[in-house]
Amino acid sequence: MKQANANFDFDDDAPLLEAEDLTVSYSTSQGDLIAVDDVSFTVKEDEIFGLVGESGCGKSTVAQAILSLLPSNGMIPSGSIRFRGIELTELEKRELDSLRWENLALISQGAMNALNPVQRISTQIVEAIQAHREISKQDARERTRELFETVGLDPERMDDYPHQFSGGMKQRAYIAMSLALDPDLIIADEPTTALDVIVQDQILKRLKELRDELNISVVIISHDISVIAETCRRLGVMYSGKLMEYGDLRDIFANPYNPYTLGMQNAFPTLRGDQSDLISIPGSPPDIADLPDGCRFLARCPFATEECGQEHPPLQEVAEDHYSACYHHDRIDTMRTEAERRSTWNRVQDDGTAVGVEGADD
Amino acid sequence: MSGETSSPVQRGEGQPSQGWRRFVENLRNSVQEQAKIFVQSRMAVAGLAIIVFYVIVALVSPYIVPYGPEERIYTAAGEWAKLQPPSLAHPLGTTESAYDVLSQLLLGARIAMFVGLLGAFMVAIIGTTVGLVAGYYGGWIDEIVMRVVDILYGLPFIPFVIVLVTVLGASVWNIILGIALLYWLSTARVIRSEVLSLRERPYVEAAEAAGASDFRIMGVQILPNVIPLAALYAAIAVGYSIVAQASIAFLGFGDPTVPSWGVMLQRAFVTQSFGTAWWSVFPPGLSITLVVTGAYLVGRGYEEVVNPQLQEK
Amino acid sequence: MVNKRYLARRFLLMVVSLFTVATILFFLFRMVPGGPMSAIMSPRMTEAARQRVIENFGLNEPLWRQYLLYMWQLLHLNLGESFYYGQTVKGLIVDRFYNTMVLMLTAFLISYTIGIYLGAQLGWIRGTPKERAAMIVVLLMRSTPVFWTGMIVLYLFAFELNMFPLGGMRGVGAEYSSVSGKFLSVDFLYHLVLPVFTLTTFYTGLPLLLMRNNLLEVLSEDYIDTARAKGLTNRRILFRHAARNAVLPVVTAFAIAIGFAVGGQVLIETVFSWPGLGREMVKASLRSDYPVAQGAFLLLSTIVISMNFLADLAYTYLDPRVRLGGT
Repeated sequence: MKQANANFDFDDDAPLLEAEDLTVSYSTSQGDLIAVDDVSFTVKEDEIFGLVGESGCGKSTVAQAILSLLPSNGMIPSGSIRFRGIELTELEKRELDSLRWENLALISQGAMNALNPVQRISTQIVEAIQAHREISKQDARERTRELFETVGLDPERMDDYPHQFSGGMKQRAYIAMSLALDPDLIIADEPTTALDVIVQDQILKRLKELRDELNISVVIISHDISVIAETCRRLGVMYSGKLMEYGDLRDIFANPYNPYTLGMQNAFPTLRGDQSDLISIPGSPPDIADLPDGCRFLARCPFATEECGQEHPPLQEVAEDHYSACYHHDRIDTMRTEAERRSTWNRVQDDGTAVGVEGADD
Repeated sequence: MSGETSSPVQRGEGQPSQGWRRFVENLRNSVQEQAKIFVQSRMAVAGLAIIVFYVIVALVSPYIVPYGPEERIYTAAGEWAKLQPPSLAHPLGTTESAYDVLSQLLLGARIAMFVGLLGAFMVAIIGTTVGLVAGYYGGWIDEIVMRVVDILYGLPFIPFVIVLVTVLGASVWNIILGIALLYWLSTARVIRSEVLSLRERPYVEAAEAAGASDFRIMGVQILPNVIPLAALYAAIAVGYSIVAQASIAFLGFGDPTVPSWGVMLQRAFVTQSFGTAWWSVFPPGLSITLVVTGAYLVGRGYEEVVNPQLQEK
Repeated sequence: MVNKRYLARRFLLMVVSLFTVATILFFLFRMVPGGPMSAIMSPRMTEAARQRVIENFGLNEPLWRQYLLYMWQLLHLNLGESFYYGQTVKGLIVDRFYNTMVLMLTAFLISYTIGIYLGAQLGWIRGTPKERAAMIVVLLMRSTPVFWTGMIVLYLFAFELNMFPLGGMRGVGAEYSSVSGKFLSVDFLYHLVLPVFTLTTFYTGLPLLLMRNNLLEVLSEDYIDTARAKGLTNRRILFRHAARNAVLPVVTAFAIAIGFAVGGQVLIETVFSWPGLGREMVKASLRSDYPVAQGAFLLLSTIVISMNFLADLAYTYLDPRVRLGGT
């Protein structure tokens, strides 16, 4: 549900969250390193959107950039992030502060450490509430009780300290905290990493239920494609700072258009139930300090050709609400067939250079 | 606080002679690497320059001082030239015992650097050894050592040295004894922490599995990695030792026959002449401050450079 | 639901430490010039007094009995008689004790408060020119020997500017009706200013640097990001989240600080002629008044050990993970 915010004049026609040509870089002793390169995506109302990719692909950086929580050496040299029409990159801290948590909340990576160890959990939630609302401590505590019930925690324990909760409970408490002000959008960065599978399952289910009950949109960021598959309706696949494939999840899984997506699907057991052997993509992502010309995935792609070495391909629409960045969409049927075979991926040599042309020799 | 080198020196075990050679090799590599890191910090280099300067002064002062340590200056009338303000003949004036301040100052560097460097050396040796043994063996050895450390923390340093001097006499060696008995506590604690984490490293486990003796593992695998931390604490101990000696001398427990900055200040205080003769007070105090600052810069500058190094790797 | 086991262990440590210190003293003072007898018998004693001492301390008995008698006397707080003053050591050092504590605690309180506050601020503004300048000042403060600072302060403010007295604890001929009257009188406070000021410059360095270092570490923790994400003001993040966590190790460092602080106390009492334990110990040692020296040292050591234990208590209370026992 869309909250009004006294400080902002939201554009009702604008999408909930829109990133356009977003670029994020870090300034280091080795120069400016680009972590997110020209990424564009949209998150609609009442939807769970996923960002998936290997570690280091920039997906967490996107999350931090949205809330302006980049570390001190991070910056946004170009591009824009708009929340309901408001340009986030141009806001001052004070303005951002009123948006934060009220409309945009964050569930960060590893709630294990994201809760202050020397404060009671109730204190931390009340603090979040009182930072944005004129409300008595009594009422805030009442709200905290409600929130605990919403996420399935015993309200009697809300005055405990974080170390007295298990990992899964801490994560739920964090979710409860993020719901405190009925935000429009929650960004969940690796919400279930470090939790065991059963708890993971419960939490993901709960997130979906909350979307239905409270009309919240969620952006889930994860390296685990099964988490994304279970919860999201739309997703973006990131690799080395770039968006490789993007759009409706079911369509992408049923008809993937990007070699990287094809490779990723192979590496996860849950999607290919009948296959007992996992095929991983040999090699590793390029060094962020030394990015190659051309397609970022070139070095590990079994289908790459000379054409791919000039420039990273732009996102093209390949179906309705389905975009992919590749120069070889016309050969997609062959590619899909070949991708199922281990020998295809073995074509990529150890030093990371592609063998190149897909041919009929298999 | 830092402590770990970026590429831990690791070797397997070997025959006894190889073990020693490896130890020396590891040590040399470690020192070279640390030296390279060290010079990256301007602070550390500046501090080192100060220390080296004072060491040189300490070494050459008996040969270059204009006046001897017990040489009295007389006025034209044959009286003691007490508390003369600075002049050409005496750039820093004279003390209340009619000694030349500048000479006393230069000679005082000897005892300062001696106590400073010896104290630091002992702190490093004792602290590192104790920390190494406690951290490596763990168990009841660790318990006992740490309890002893806890108990020794209950002895305040300066009063303890006063007791030592009262009982054993006013000599520099008793001050050094005090330093040796009490200053290593913090170092031992920190080294022990470091060793506790280092001993879980794979290369240590590999050496253990290969049957290397405890002594070899401690000396060859762990010690070289702990040396940067020990050096850091040793640097800080230089400063503390010098101040300790000066403080004890100031209180009146120093050896009056040895010229030292602390004794100079004690004389100035006891005769209440510091109220009028600023030249007997400022030079020794400034010297102490300068040397301690130098030692501290060495330690801090080095640490600042080592820490970001760790973070980048 | 305090973690009693931990506290019990620390209390036991305190008791053992006290015993150990007393034992060390016992053996050390047997080595004074003139033998163990000289340690407790004044050359000016009457024969009757000598006999009493020999009896109480068993000077003609085997070592282990002497040791037990010594401990027995200690437990009854019999510390002997001063050679110089002719009064009991106990009476003497108890009086000096209050003088020392007033000075030390006042200076400690002020310096820890300032140190923690400034350390947090400096950590927050790290990298700025202001911070660099401040760090240089802190460095210089830590490098100057405290007694020299005292002399300079005395020279400046007492000799030259005549703003404050030259030393001592109160004006000559001052009389007080009660203990609180003594410590709260303007005259007393007037005498307190310079020594407290000097001690504060000496003490502040440690908590300041520790706090700053800890704060820098804490700022990189995840819960600080959470606080930022919640839209809290910088002030709130700094003090309620960052500083609150960073201050815990500073409390434990109290233990190490006290040991060195007592040394500073001794020096400052000497410079400012403050009639405290430190100064008394120095004078007694210079005069070979061994019972007083021993008693003063014992009391100083007791202060250090008790403060350590109090620091443990404080830490236990402040850190809920220790207080309630970890999961």
